[in-house]
Amino acid sequence: MSELATYITLGFRHITDLEAMDHILFLFALAAIYRIRDWRDSLWVVTAFTAGHSVTLALAVTGALVLPTRLIEFLIPVTIVATCVENLVVHDRRRALWGGRYRPVFAGVFGLVHGAGFANYLRSLFVDQIALPLFGFNVGIELGQLVVLAIAAAVLAAVDWTFTLATTRGGQGALRLRVMAVSAVVACVALRWAVERSPF
Amino acid sequence: MGALLAVLGGLVLHPLHTTLTQLTYREADGTVEATVRVFADDFRAALKGKVTDSAAVIYLRSTFALADSSGRPLVPTWCGIRRTGDLLWLCLRAPAAHGLSGLRVRVGLLFDRYADQINIVQATYGGRRTALLFTSGDAPKPLP
Repeated sequence: MSELATYITLGFRHITDLEAMDHILFLFALAAIYRIRDWRDSLWVVTAFTAGHSVTLALAVTGALVLPTRLIEFLIPVTIVATCVENLVVHDRRRALWGGRYRPVFAGVFGLVHGAGFANYLRSLFVDQIALPLFGFNVGIELGQLVVLAIAAAVLAAVDWTFTLATTRGGQGALRLRVMAVSAVVACVALRWAVERSPF
Repeated sequence: MGALLAVLGGLVLHPLHTTLTQLTYREADGTVEATVRVFADDFRAALKGKVTDSAAVIYLRSTFALADSSGRPLVPTWCGIRRTGDLLWLCLRAPAAHGLSGLRVRVGLLFDRYADQINIVQATYGGRRTALLFTSGDAPKPLP
């Protein structure tokens, strides 16, 4: 296996591991408002998230940015809660700020926080040879996120179908119920993490 | 719903469980030197106690293996341990008269502790670098 493929595999496996529930839930929260036909929008958001964490990761592992681990571990679940709150608060995205097209921006900003979470590990382990591991790890993370996104789309479509059957509310009604249910569950989990990891 | 929250909430934020082993060929004495980088807290937990040379050697004997191309085990000797920050660097040397090509390697550190553990091996020889990746259950793999 080439070195690059090794680090791509490392990033991919890290993000798709079932124990990586913080990343997976964040992606679910981001994807919760989209339907399968909105795949371009969700792809933009996830790619912006990857771009964000790539920037922080690069800055942090090269030592240009030093961030306290405890603060980052607290902020990661806070970003998940914030995403869920945004999902719950914004009902009509066409009337929201920039016609609702601000989501890639905040996904990118939250990506900055998540990237810092990986940085300490990578900086320690690959202290003398960071460029290739960093690049490969990020490519693997992006590929893994696309897989998680595809699974999230299928799960969310199944939730829609269940709500449609259970409530006879199709279309927008089922979508809204889904957004509320998924966001509420994810927010509760992330809130618990945030409280447990509060540095204050 | 409560059960789902309990299950999800019980999961922790996800660290990266990885070690990095570098293999280099020492032409001067015809040996392969393995430097294993492992996070100190993980290694301490794996040893179930204080990190000493003897405890590290005993642990590595069961989790780190080298063999020649015909499968004959190479017995490594211990060449020390050092610490930088939160990382430990463990050093082993073994005879490798024919170089690194064809050498069979297995790095199974921490598989008994973390289901998501990944161990990376980098080998530098003959003017090139190659890498192997080990996850739980992997058999020894040959260097090309």
